[in-house]
Formats: sequence, structure tokens, C-alpha cells
Amino acid sequence: MEIFAGIDIGSLTSKALLFGEKGILSYSILPTGANPKIAAMRCLESVLMKSNIKEKDILSIVATGYGRIIIPFKAKEMTEISCHAKGASFLIPGARTVIDIGGQDSKIITLDSNSRVLDFVMNDKCAAGTGRFLEVMAKALEVELNEMGRLSLQSRKSISVSSMCTVFAESEVISLIAKGYEVKEILKGLHEAIARRIYNLSKRLRVKDKIVFTGGVAKNEGIKRFLEKFFGKEILVPEEPQIVGALGAALFARDFYYSNLMGGKNENKKSMFDKI
Amino acid sequence: MNKTNPFLRFLIKNPSSYRILKPLLELFNLREKEPYRIWLRFLIDILIDAFGKKRKAVIWMNSMTPTEIAYAFDAIPIMPEVIASIVSNIGLSGRFLSISEGKLSTDTCSFHRCILGLAMDNLLPRPTVIISSSNICDGANKFYHYLSSFYQCPHLFIDVPYDESESSLKYLIFQLEKIFKDLSEILSIPIDQNRIYKIISNSNHSRSLLEEINKMRQTIPSPFPGSEGLSYLLGMNFWSHGSERAIEFYLALKRFIKMMTNFGKAYKNHERMRILWLHQIRPYYQTEIFKILQRHGAMVSFEEGNYLYWPPLEVKNPIGSIAKKILSNIWQGPLEKRLNAISEMIKDYSINGVIHFSPWGCRQGTGASSIIGDFLKENGIPFLLLPGDSIDPNNYSAGQTRTRLEAFLEIVV
Repeated sequence: MEIFAGIDIGSLTSKALLFGEKGILSYSILPTGANPKIAAMRCLESVLMKSNIKEKDILSIVATGYGRIIIPFKAKEMTEISCHAKGASFLIPGARTVIDIGGQDSKIITLDSNSRVLDFVMNDKCAAGTGRFLEVMAKALEVELNEMGRLSLQSRKSISVSSMCTVFAESEVISLIAKGYEVKEILKGLHEAIARRIYNLSKRLRVKDKIVFTGGVAKNEGIKRFLEKFFGKEILVPEEPQIVGALGAALFARDFYYSNLMGGKNENKKSMFDKI
Repeated sequence: MNKTNPFLRFLIKNPSSYRILKPLLELFNLREKEPYRIWLRFLIDILIDAFGKKRKAVIWMNSMTPTEIAYAFDAIPIMPEVIASIVSNIGLSGRFLSISEGKLSTDTCSFHRCILGLAMDNLLPRPTVIISSSNICDGANKFYHYLSSFYQCPHLFIDVPYDESESSLKYLIFQLEKIFKDLSEILSIPIDQNRIYKIISNSNHSRSLLEEINKMRQTIPSPFPGSEGLSYLLGMNFWSHGSERAIEFYLALKRFIKMMTNFGKAYKNHERMRILWLHQIRPYYQTEIFKILQRHGAMVSFEEGNYLYWPPLEVKNPIGSIAKKILSNIWQGPLEKRLNAISEMIKDYSINGVIHFSPWGCRQGTGASSIIGDFLKENGIPFLLLPGDSIDPNNYSAGQTRTRLEAFLEIVV
């Protein structure tokens, strides 16, 4: 069986995915921690164990995400922008815009009708409105990260949070609690602010349907709802939005493998055990 | 931040240090390109003259003020903004940015913040007079006025009008005539028509050589790297026009480019994409930007900063033609001027993609960048807006910059 792997080393989580003839075989998501190289290895080991596949069976590996450059056992690296675009187009054919909110940055990517990246924008300088921001807010509000979306939907009222700086927003949120506002109201306000920030960023691009929301933050239903409100369009979220980058990387691994075979090159095979 | 040790300051401000350094630099850079070695000699000689006891007048000028004015009075032009870029390049800008932090907001131009830090640490040659112009940088006149009070020296400023109309030209000529008159009084040097004639001729000679060089750089593959075009070539463009050293530099650069072109070589041999770099400047501290580009076979084939925008100066009308030079800057006036020039560069240099460097503190650059981006994208030219900082390494995010650059190159390919 022909198996390809994609590894996405993000600032907060690492994802590894195996792709075969029948599609996604298995994936694993682990915290990146302090050493992205070790995270990549553990992630790959975990997905191999899950699927009962041996590393030698993988024909090619492509790495993506911020840690992509230090993964030694990759055949090639691609940016998460290209990988999210490729993965999203595979899962949702006809996707023309991808909103990816990851741990430390947010990106909006536009695609042409052939699923090629046309253009992109990223957040500047700070991590406001990203996964890290939500993590800090979850801690300040003493709620579980994966409960934030559900809780916010229970509120009718949205309390405006004016600062998007992680540090200032944290103290603002604490003062809102002290004023007696409910956690769910504050959460709704936070989600609205994040979605507005993404919407404003998107104005630099020509956003078209279908819009796909990827990255860990796409699991937050509250943000998705506000994005739909601002964009005035349906926002599509894949079943597991966190693995879209790794999926794109695996698809690139497959493309490179065959183009190398056609070109007579043999750059596909590198073992993690050889290199670490 | 502690200021520089007095003994070290004594060495930095002592011309003998540079006399000793000069042959060492020559020896150390023997394998470097001839134009680069001339640039180093040019800098060292300026520092020897500027710190010398029997020194000539030292005129501080911001980078868009025509140096022909200083050379016309046989004075030493000092370009603090270029010095800031060199200080950043050798990894010392953080120290001086920190010194000036109590005086200037970190949101302002980091060139200016670094210059102020250097001035507060008393490491720069003391100006006899400061001349600045608002040409493409509205903040310059205010900043240099502050510096003139710091050094208690006269400040002459050129208020550059927006458009290239007849009335704008008259207004500018009026100011330049006054500057020549004021300089003559301040420096106690009479206006010497023969010297002005010589300086204008030198400037025109440099200009025609730059024109030839720019034409030669249209060759595929690129014979000269944009990373160097944005450093010492740009430094000479700002600092040397009117001097004889400029002619020596451009002749050497022309010889080098001719040699590379004759051998049919790209600078690094594997050019897959030709990039146009917009904005006058780049990050000067150590970054991976140009290494990433090179690794992907992307060559900065030309830089907006080296675009030749001004007509030849007129020997019989020196002040009028210097005024025309200032007004013809593509960053001055309506954005259409810059868009037309960018279109011309894209065509002439067979450009595949455009990178617009956008320093945080530069309002002029950031203000226009999105309109330029829309214009280029509408015309099918891949465009990357690369935010960053030229001088302050604290404003550089290696991971984000790499992702932006590589994603852009993945689009261009």
C-alpha cells in the first residue's frame, strides 16, 4: 500500500497524519511542548502505532507549521498556508477561502478554481485573537478551552471586550468578572471581537465562497457563528479542523513523490531514526 | 542602558583610529568586490575628515537631501540614517535604541530612534549645520530640528511641496537659493560658481553611470544581488552624488557587472524567480530574508531605491535642476507616479513577483503599500507585503517572516 505522511508542527500542537489510497488512514494530535523536533517524532510514532503501520512503509513525508524547518526526517517542507489550502480543498471541494486560526497566528487564504493559493494575509506582530489568546482567556475565566464555544452560545448578551492585546484583555476580563458579568457573556464578547478582527483582516483580500474554517480554533462554535454573522455567508468546518495542515502536507508528499518518480529523482525517503 | 565607556568613545571619535583601521579593512576585504571596497574607503575617509581637528564643516543631511549642496561648499556630508543602518548591520542598534527610548516613542521611525541614541551617547561627528528635507519623509524635518537643538547648531530645512507644478518648483527654488545663501553665511564660505559647476558635472557623471548600471542589471540572470543593491549601492546613491568618489564607485560597479554579464553568471547561479524589492530600505540587522529567497532560487533583481528618477542636472541652472531632482522623486506627489515607475521596473527587469518591505515606523511606506498591492494583483503580479523593521531587531519575527516569504514564493512558482 502507498502511504504518505504529513507533519504539522504548530506553536501549541503537533499533528501527524497518514494518507493512503483510501484517504486518511490515521492521525494524531499532541502538544508541541518545548522541543518541536521531539514532538514531531512522538507524533509520528503515535500515528504509526495507532494505525499499525511501520515507518518504512511511508513513501514520503512533508513537514509544515512553524517547526517544519527543524524536522530532519522530512523529504520536503511546505508552508502551512499552502498546506491548509490543499487540505481544505481536499476535504471541501470548491473551497475558495480558508480561514486558519492556529496557536500563534491567524491566516486568511484565497484560492483559485484549481485550488491553488491566490493570496493570503496573516496577523501582524502579535498573537491577539489566536489560539494562545483563547487559552489565556480560558484560564482567566476558569473554563475549559473546549467548553468556551458551547458556553458562549448560551448567552444572549455580548459584553464588549475592547482590548485585543492578550495581556490587557486578560486584566479587562478579570475586571468584567469583578463587575458581576457572567462568564458566558464575556465569552460571547471575546468571540465577537476575535471574529471581527478576522473579518477586518479579510478585507485586504477578495473573499469568495466556499469559506472553510480550519485550525484548532475552528472547533469553537461561538467564533464560527460570529464569523458567519460578519461574512454573511456559511462557514464550513471540516470534521477535524486541526489536522487540515497535516493533511495538506501528506497530499503534497504524495504529489512530490510522484513528480520525483517521473523526474527520476530519489529524494523521497528519509527515516526519523536515521536522523535523530 | 549604560553609555559607552569614555576610552572607547575616545577611540571611536579619534581620526587616528580610522587611519589605522583603513589598511586593516583593505587587507581583510581583499577578496571582496572592488565597489564594496570603495564604499568602505569612502566611509572611513568621511569619518577621518569629520572627526579630524582641522576638520571641514560637517553638514548632517537626511537621506533624501541632495548631497550636491554639501559638496558645493566643500563640506563633509554626514548621513545619520545610513550610519544607523551600518550600526544595525554590525549588531549594535539595540544599544542605541535603548538609550533613546526615554525620548522617542518606540512607534516612531527606528532610524531616527537609533540616531538619537548615537547622538545621546555622543558618538557622532558634531554637525556644523543640519539640513533636512521633507522629501518622502514628513517626520524628518521635525526630528532633525530636535537634533539641531540637541547640538545647538543651525537647522535649515526644505519644505518639499506635493506636486511638480510650476509654482511648486518656484517655491522650492526659492528655498534652495536661501539655503545656499544661509550656508555661505554660516560656514563663512563664499558661493563658488566654479565649484558648483564641478559638483554638478560630477553628479551628472555619476547619474549617467548609474543609468548604465541599471540598464545592465536588466540582464537575465541577475548580475548583481539586490541584497547588496539595498546596502552599499543605496548608501552611495544617498551619500555620494556630486563627489569624485561616486564616479570611482560607479565605474568599479559597472566593471563588476560587466564581468558578471560577460560570463553569463547570475550572482548565485540558480535564478528561478526575479523579484522587485519595494521601499527604499531593507532590514539591516542579521536576518534570513535574503538567504530564504536565495534558497528558493528567488533573486532580488532590482530595488525601487536605486531607480533613477531624476533628469540630468543643468550646469547653467544648478539650483533649478536640484529642485527638479527633488520634485521628480517617485515617492513625492500622487501615487500614480510611483505606480508608473513600478510598472516600468516590472517590465524592464522581467519581474515575477514583488515584495514590498513595510517598516512599522514608516508612515509613507505603510500608507501606500496596500494600494500598490491591489494595483499589482489586479495586473496579475504576485505581491507580498512584508512588515518589519529596518533597524530594530526586536521587531523582527523570524518564524512569521519565513512563513510569509515561503508562502509567497510557493505562489510565484
